Parts: sequence; structure tokens; C-alpha cells
Amino acid sequence: MKLEDCKVVFAAVGLIGVLIFASPMLGLVLHLPGGEKFSELWVLGPRHMAEDYPFNVTAGVNYLVYVGVGNHMGSSTYYVVYVKFRNETEPLPNMTTGAPSVLAPLYEYRVFLEDNSSSEVPLTFSFSNVSFSGGQSTVGGLAINGVPFGVDKSVSWDAVNSGYFYQLFMELWIYDPASNGFSFHNRFVTRWLNMTASV
Amino acid sequence: MLKRVLRASVSFLLVLALAGLFSHGVFVVCGADEASTSVGDADVAVRQAFNATLDAERAGANVSGLILRLNEAGRILTEAEIALGNGNSSEAASKAVQCIGIAESVKSDADVLKASALDGARTVFWMSLTFSVVGIAVFVVVLMLVWRWFKGGYVRKMLGMKPEVAHDEA
Repeated sequence: MKLEDCKVVFAAVGLIGVLIFASPMLGLVLHLPGGEKFSELWVLGPRHMAEDYPFNVTAGVNYLVYVGVGNHMGSSTYYVVYVKFRNETEPLPNMTTGAPSVLAPLYEYRVFLEDNSSSEVPLTFSFSNVSFSGGQSTVGGLAINGVPFGVDKSVSWDAVNSGYFYQLFMELWIYDPASNGFSFHNRFVTRWLNMTASV
Repeated sequence: MLKRVLRASVSFLLVLALAGLFSHGVFVVCGADEASTSVGDADVAVRQAFNATLDAERAGANVSGLILRLNEAGRILTEAEIALGNGNSSEAASKAVQCIGIAESVKSDADVLKASALDGARTVFWMSLTFSVVGIAVFVVVLMLVWRWFKGGYVRKMLGMKPEVAHDEA
């Protein structure tokens, strides 16, 4: 082996050694980009499973679902979940434009989550002042987690799917510390509910 | 008789007014506007507490305990807003005060945690810097000494070799 070749080997060993000794400092200074940032929103049935969701509902009965939120935003995050109720003619959020539904929220959950953590909260609901007449159903009251709200929603008989269909849906909003405000996070989950005179 | 009733009523009102004057929080009789302001203040307090928590987290502090308390503050704020929506101003104001108390304590603890985390981070930074600078210096010096020793040995080996004449077999 020539002396020049040995010099190259020594230089390589030197470079590797310098990098090894500098690594604690480089670790503090250099910040590699993290993974994809996203949030999760889900709704589960009364047994914390994606089954047995309430569908055929009637007045005066309590129904239970679980609403879950997951945080993968890279830091602790402050969320608000708005619970809304609509009939088939009222608008849902628009996923394309990222606009929330214009309907006023009935109930809200404030959820603070550390990165890579999730939380599930119970959502019980029951209906009151339900009436049926002339091919129309009207719901006067909806109680969420025991808190009564006047809703006054009507739907016509859906001949195709055979039912009076309402929709309970949850929107996920996220707090932005820079603007000190909340914005719709373009995530929502829905549950169709068929109002019946008796189950 | 009427005089006595009047005197009793005035005395009662005076006692009531004095008690209200000297004891904060005894009477929570709020109008809707006042309750609405309190709930708004609670909302702001929770946001500020979260901002402080986020700052502490970015400084490297463990904020699990603060997040738990923020969730409690958030739950109470929701209850305050529901009470306000139902026209129960007194309960809304009371819940808002409770929420502000938790939020302010979270903010104060977050500030302490942030300061402590920054101190820790500063120590780690200087230790890392010292380790890197001293380590690199020692490594380079050792490598140069080894190179000199190796180069000397190599040259001595070369000089100690005997020249040989190669024959071209062809």
C-alpha cells in the first residue's frame, strides 16, 4: 500500500471520528422533519366498537355512542368537537372547500391531547316532542349528555330507504396559537338516525 | 305595626348590602351580560394556559399533568357555556370563575416548568458542546500522532528495503 493511499484512509477515519464526536451537538442543532401531521376523529358504538350504532331511534330513549379524537400533529393540541343535528336538506361540512356546516352547534367537547395520544368521550342523546303527521316527522327536542336543546327539525318520508332520516354529526375544530382562534379541521363524522314511532 | 315592618325591611336590606360589600363571592347574582363576560374571560384564560403549556412543551418539559388539568378546565368551560345558553347566568358565572382558577394555575405551573426545562436544556447544550469540542480536539491530536508514528515507520521500512533488479522473462 502506498503512503498516499494510507493518507486517504487516515483522512476518512478522521472525518468519521469528528462526526461521531460532533453528533451530540449536531443532534441539538439539526432538526429532522417529522412524519405527516394529522388528526383523527371517529365515532364508535356503545361497546367502543364500530358496531351496534343506534339507527332506529324513538322518543324518550337514551342512546350512547363514543366520540374519539386522536392527535398526531407533532405537539400538544387543543381541539373542539361540535355536535350538530340536521335534516336531509340542511348542509353538511364541505370537504372540498374545507368549510364547516353553517348549522349552529348544539353541544361541544373541549379536548386537549398530547402528541400521539387519543381520547374517547361518551355522547348520550335522546329525543323528545317527536310527532308524525302527513308523511312528515318533526323532532322538537334533543338532549345531549342530559342537556336539553330545542331543535325543531322536520323531515319527509323517504320512500326509497323507508324512513324518516335525521343526521347527528360531529365536526373537529383545532386551535391555532398563532391566530389565537379555532378553525375547522376538515374532519367530521356522521350517524344517520331513522326516527320511528316505536322501535 | 307598619312602622315596625318598614324598619325591619330597611334593616334587612342594610345588612344584605353590607354583607355584599364586605364579602366577595357570597352572593353570585349575575346578569346575563356579566355571566357572558365571565365565560368569555374563562375562554381566554384557557387559551392562554394552553399557549403557556405549549411553550413549556417546546422547551422540553413534560406537560402530561398540565394537559390533564386543561381537560378539566375545558370540561368546566363547556358546562359554563351550556349554563349560559340555558339562561342560568349564576351557574355560568360560578363555573367560569372555577375554570379561570384552574387555567391560571396551569399557566403559572407551565411558566415554572418552562423555566426549569430551559435551564435543563442550557445545561445539556453546554455539556454537549464541551464534549464535542474537547472530543474532536483530542481525537484529531491522537490521530495526528498516530499518523506521524505510522508515517515514520513506513518511511523507515521503505529505506530499509534492498533494491532488486527485475528480469524481463520475455
